[in-house]
Amino acid sequence: MSNDIDSTENDGENGIDSQKPEKMFTLKKWNAVAMWSWDVECDTCAICRVQVMDACLRCQGENKQDDCVVIWGECNHSFHNCCMSLWVKQNNRCPLCQQEWSVQRIGI
Amino acid sequence: MMSLKPRAVAFDEKWEKIEETVTLVLTLGAIKQKYWNERFSDIYALCVAHPDPLADKLYLETKSLLENHVRDLCVKVSAQQDENLLSEYYKHWLKYSTGAKNLNCLYSYLNNQYVQKTKMTEADIMYGGTHSHDSGDRNVRNCHETTGELGLDIWQRELIIPLQNRLAALLLACIKQDRCNQNTDSPTTTIRGVIFSFIDVNMFKNKSSLELFENVFEKALILETGEFYSSEASAILQECDVSQYMEKVINRLSEEKLRATKFLPPSSHTSVEKEVQTKMIADHLATLHAEAPAMVAQENTRDLGNMYKLLKTVHGGVSVMVKQLQEHIKQKGLQATNNLKGDNVPAQFVESLLKVHQKYMDMIKNLFSNDQQFVGALDKAFESVINHRVTSRNICKSPELLAKYCDSLLKKSTKGLNESEVDDKLAQSITIFKYIDDKDVFQKFYSRHLAKRLIQQQSHSMDSEEAMINKLKQACGYEYTSKLHRMFTDMNISAGHNQKFQEYTSQQKIELGINFSINVLQAGAWPLGQSTLTPFSVPHELEKSVQAFEAFYHKNFSGRKLTWLHHLCQGELKVGFTKRTYLITMSSFQMAMLLVFEKTDSLTCAELQQHTTLNDEQFYKFLQSLIDCKILTASEEVLEKTTVLKLNFDYTNKRTKFKITVASPKETQQEVEHTHTSVDEDRKLYLQAAIVRIMKARKVLQHSLLIQEVISQSRVRFIPQIPMIKKCIEVLIDKQYLERSSSSSDQYSYVA
Repeated sequence: MSNDIDSTENDGENGIDSQKPEKMFTLKKWNAVAMWSWDVECDTCAICRVQVMDACLRCQGENKQDDCVVIWGECNHSFHNCCMSLWVKQNNRCPLCQQEWSVQRIGI
Repeated sequence: MMSLKPRAVAFDEKWEKIEETVTLVLTLGAIKQKYWNERFSDIYALCVAHPDPLADKLYLETKSLLENHVRDLCVKVSAQQDENLLSEYYKHWLKYSTGAKNLNCLYSYLNNQYVQKTKMTEADIMYGGTHSHDSGDRNVRNCHETTGELGLDIWQRELIIPLQNRLAALLLACIKQDRCNQNTDSPTTTIRGVIFSFIDVNMFKNKSSLELFENVFEKALILETGEFYSSEASAILQECDVSQYMEKVINRLSEEKLRATKFLPPSSHTSVEKEVQTKMIADHLATLHAEAPAMVAQENTRDLGNMYKLLKTVHGGVSVMVKQLQEHIKQKGLQATNNLKGDNVPAQFVESLLKVHQKYMDMIKNLFSNDQQFVGALDKAFESVINHRVTSRNICKSPELLAKYCDSLLKKSTKGLNESEVDDKLAQSITIFKYIDDKDVFQKFYSRHLAKRLIQQQSHSMDSEEAMINKLKQACGYEYTSKLHRMFTDMNISAGHNQKFQEYTSQQKIELGINFSINVLQAGAWPLGQSTLTPFSVPHELEKSVQAFEAFYHKNFSGRKLTWLHHLCQGELKVGFTKRTYLITMSSFQMAMLLVFEKTDSLTCAELQQHTTLNDEQFYKFLQSLIDCKILTASEEVLEKTTVLKLNFDYTNKRTKFKITVASPKETQQEVEHTHTSVDEDRKLYLQAAIVRIMKARKVLQHSLLIQEVISQSRVRFIPQIPMIKKCIEVLIDKQYLERSSSSSDQYSYVA
């Protein structure tokens, strides 16, 4: 990457730079765009049947979209955190594989 | 000092004096205070006389005295010729009514002590009890009224009733003279006074005090009014057109209003006005209505205003006008939006519609005093204009055009408009937005434009952006704009990321070598088609940035993955191989292609594509843009795998800082189609969600009721097609959200 950006810039203004510059192209600025999504195997929450990228219906109804995150079990299955916290009160197993539910991580 | 003690009294002796005074009172003769006081005491003495009170006798004598007096007056008055009758009557009435009032004072002991006691109670009136007859108190059984009331009653019975026909006829004649602009035979005060005497004569009665007036005069007046204006209307219509007729009727009505206040009690004002309206307007409704289409078509403001004034008085009278105007506005709206040509069709479309809207809003305000019926007609007309389709197969362009219009306002390029002007125009576009049926289509287009503006930093002002989203939210609710809001917050969050990332890189002593910034978008919230995704090998100049940011991001968040959207990334490349140095803004793909030429002066297309790993579609599209702007030269016009590409060392441009854009009209067309198909998908989901919501609440519901409910819930977004709703019900039955009731075939029940 070039470290003489300033000097070439000055030359450029005159337009009579007969010597070949050290670099033909210099990247000056990059405005990148990226998209984030939950790193999940299945796009849909099996409990509420809503896409995990959207908030669960309960949170949508209460306007708490931003707080509706995803939770992963040790089995690597994932659900809305709020859906799962209701689910485990009745049955402490993963709804998909019936393994004992233990939390691997919670999305932030 | 007189004695208050009851004692024996000689009636005749006292009465003689009382009679004399009473006659004076009735004729408003002069009475000395002394005599007045004496008579007052005499009346008291008679009332409390011992052994038998003489109140009853006094009452009867007074009554017959009054009767005789009034009968005499009646003879005098009725002897008058017609021309003097009213004034003679009025003269005597003024005197007599004042006299009767005074007499009431003179007799106040009798009135207070005897009359009040025997007045019938409410219960007596209700159950027909005649209290005074049953009470056995024969002395006061005749005293039903105070002397004042008695006097007025006698006037009514002995004077008004015998003369009623003559009086009424003369009064009506005077009113007719007034209507014909002639001098009335009697002065206004007399006419009014005589008319009011019919009411004042009953002033002591609480109920039905207007009965006499109504029977003696008002009925006849209304009848006469009807006849007069009926023939007046026919006469005017004989010689005038409807426009002139309406003016005359309005004059007539306002004159009649004045006349009513001049002569008549308030209770008659409306009935007379009603009668005039009936005869002059309601009876000629067909004639008026027949002129409505022409007046509406010519937008003749004076005639329309007049016609509204007239027709609003008749129940349902304006409906023809309302219909005409609705159709008229619709035609004007369609004309304004028909055959739009040129580059700024969206602006022409919205602004000409707004002009039409404003024009008719003003008309309705000025001519029709904002009558709700007309406002409704304007709304209906605009609904049909804005949702107009040439045929049912065509899609309605309005949502797209309006969204484009908003985009053009919110984009930086908008010239000559300051922020408040832009905000005004945006606020106005909400007027149009409210009429759109397919609000979801608008939202699709709007969010795509918004995404572009935000990502490419083309927004004129973030305040305007936010204000507009809030306006849409106000019109359609939170859910409608939640994704737009989400996009907006992603931009704010990204600004935070950029700041923290800078701190992170300086802490970690990471040298990126370029000025890096990023927008991290939440998947699902942004309308970014997957079709443009292509493999892409990031130029090594950027790799460090990518890696550093990913490390930073994963440190801060858990469970997230990042997908780089290179087709949306832009960079600034300094070009130094030419005579002058240029600073060119371009996409990552273009950058990647040019960077390959750092090491070589010529390449085939195939080689270049291999370096970038772009798919064919994207590769040739972006390559073409570089050739079009003459930075690269190609050995052939049509690009093939073997075409040789070279840097153009003779490249010149007047500007040293510019941007290479990728023109792709074809893609835009695709995008439009894509938008419409994705709208359909969204609608299905929306309907399914609505059905589940309704069924969850109702448990069991009939098919037709369910359809109705779904339509009413969806209306804020779009007008759902019934076949689509049916399909969604089928889908939900398949997914076991619903089932058909076992009891009835057209009923569904919710499966929990």
